Amino acid sequence: MKKPRDKEISPPSGEISQLAEHLFRQEAGKLVSVLTGIFGIDRLQLAEDVVQEALIRALQTWPYYGIPKNPAAWITQTAKNLALDLIRREKLFRDKQPEIVASTEQWSADSFADDSPSFDTEIKDSRLRLMFACCHPLIAQEEQTALALKTLCGFSAAEIAKAFLTTEAAIAKRLTRARQKIRDLRIPFEIPSGSELSIRLNGVLQTLYLLFNEGYKASSGESLVKKDLCYEAIRLAVLLAEHSVANLPRIHALIALMLLNGARLPTRTDTEGNILRLKEQDRSQWDRTMIARGMFHLLQSAEGDEASDYHLQAGIAACHCTAKDYESTDWPKILSLYDRLVEFDDSPVIALNRAVAVANVHGPMAGIEAVEAIRHHGKLSSYYLLYAVLGELEAQLNHPQTAADHFRSSLRLTEIRSEQMFLSKRLKACEERTANRR
Amino acid sequence: MTTPITTPEYMLLFRGMDWDRGLSPEEIQNVMSRWIAWFDRLTEQGKARAGQPLTDKGKVISGKKGQTVSDGPFAESKETVAGYILLQADNLDEAVAIAKECPGLDYGISVEVRLVDQQIGRGIGVGV
Repeated sequence: MKKPRDKEISPPSGEISQLAEHLFRQEAGKLVSVLTGIFGIDRLQLAEDVVQEALIRALQTWPYYGIPKNPAAWITQTAKNLALDLIRREKLFRDKQPEIVASTEQWSADSFADDSPSFDTEIKDSRLRLMFACCHPLIAQEEQTALALKTLCGFSAAEIAKAFLTTEAAIAKRLTRARQKIRDLRIPFEIPSGSELSIRLNGVLQTLYLLFNEGYKASSGESLVKKDLCYEAIRLAVLLAEHSVANLPRIHALIALMLLNGARLPTRTDTEGNILRLKEQDRSQWDRTMIARGMFHLLQSAEGDEASDYHLQAGIAACHCTAKDYESTDWPKILSLYDRLVEFDDSPVIALNRAVAVANVHGPMAGIEAVEAIRHHGKLSSYYLLYAVLGELEAQLNHPQTAADHFRSSLRLTEIRSEQMFLSKRLKACEERTANRR
Repeated sequence: MTTPITTPEYMLLFRGMDWDRGLSPEEIQNVMSRWIAWFDRLTEQGKARAGQPLTDKGKVISGKKGQTVSDGPFAESKETVAGYILLQADNLDEAVAIAKECPGLDYGISVEVRLVDQQIGRGIGVGV
């Protein structure tokens, strides 16, 4: 029996049966950047639409003919053809039409491939410009992260909504507002220069850091999407670091911090989604490749004398990753890093983490004192983790009743299901110990 | 002389050109991979005999001597045939069961199953 493909059309030679994971998402991000460079940043939506259409074309034809030999080149070529059709048809391009057509025609699908040097710089430049535009300080932070995910990472509004625990409509609104601001405020599509570069770069890093944290934090939301957020944040940061203007120690520190924390991501919950504490995690399941990459970037971050808060956080993560087991964790070093970190960042959450390090170095009593010292700091008094930490330390001091009270307070303050389950378990253990004493 | 009895053939027509435009690239890649796997399996089983996608470019010719030529054959894009496969199946039930596996169904694509007229009895009195 002949295969239908053979019968109807000769298949492309060297047909492959498997696509690289996330290929469409990554191609989308790349093509939106390049097309935005051609259409203009004020027509960002148009670039997104053309890319979407190209991917739909693939969906409509590949099942019949098989996956092309070079899938990325196929998508690029299709996007190029669609873009040219559009430019010739649309009135809005009339005044600049010849030059736009010329620059689009310059693309050749092959030279556009990932491994080609000729368009490589062009793509990297476009992507960096788009990063700077999405992370412009005039755009609100929550709009920045949504827009970056949509345009640079190829997430849909629905996927972003899942990651941020909000509705698709709310995300659609954020995206519309962000694109509107880019148009109205004439936010440029360019890599800033001079003294502005460093400041704007910090804004980009901040957004990538937020993106990572959104994925990393243990709150609910679909775990698969959240994991993707972490990996996308790392991917964008690595792309950023590959660009000569952005190849700075603090970017490597940020990448190191994300990799070294991300390596431990899969072990933070058990198969039922219950939270596992650091000492309970199976260290053999930590991602060794990510740890190795993280240590490599940590090394690169040490060039020069710059020390950012990313450096300190990466250093802390490295202490955890390199410890053979929980007992051999270098807590004095972690504490010294936290001591410096609180000088950079007066966030109460970091102060709380420092208190945990204090407890590990100087004992639970010292930890409780450190928590008490900061408990009226900002919104910390209504933060569930403050009571979870106090409960843990009181339990270590063999005060199960006091510990139980703290776990109850903590339970009242969180809506997150996995956290509630964990706290209930801790509470029950304390109550049993109290009962046994009587 | 009678034609040997052959396995019936069914045409599966896939209708719908407007995939949900809110699909993310990741979802597009997923549904496509599932669709490719589905076709591959049918081909390996010897069930799928041919298949091609159709673009939305075309004309409709009607009226005497083709006096009316209209753009696009399509009343609505969700009705438009976007592709077909020729399927060998034992009976309509089997063809329908296969059509129900179409990965596009979750995304607004519909599948029409039609028995191909194989002209059983060809040659008996019917002018060939």
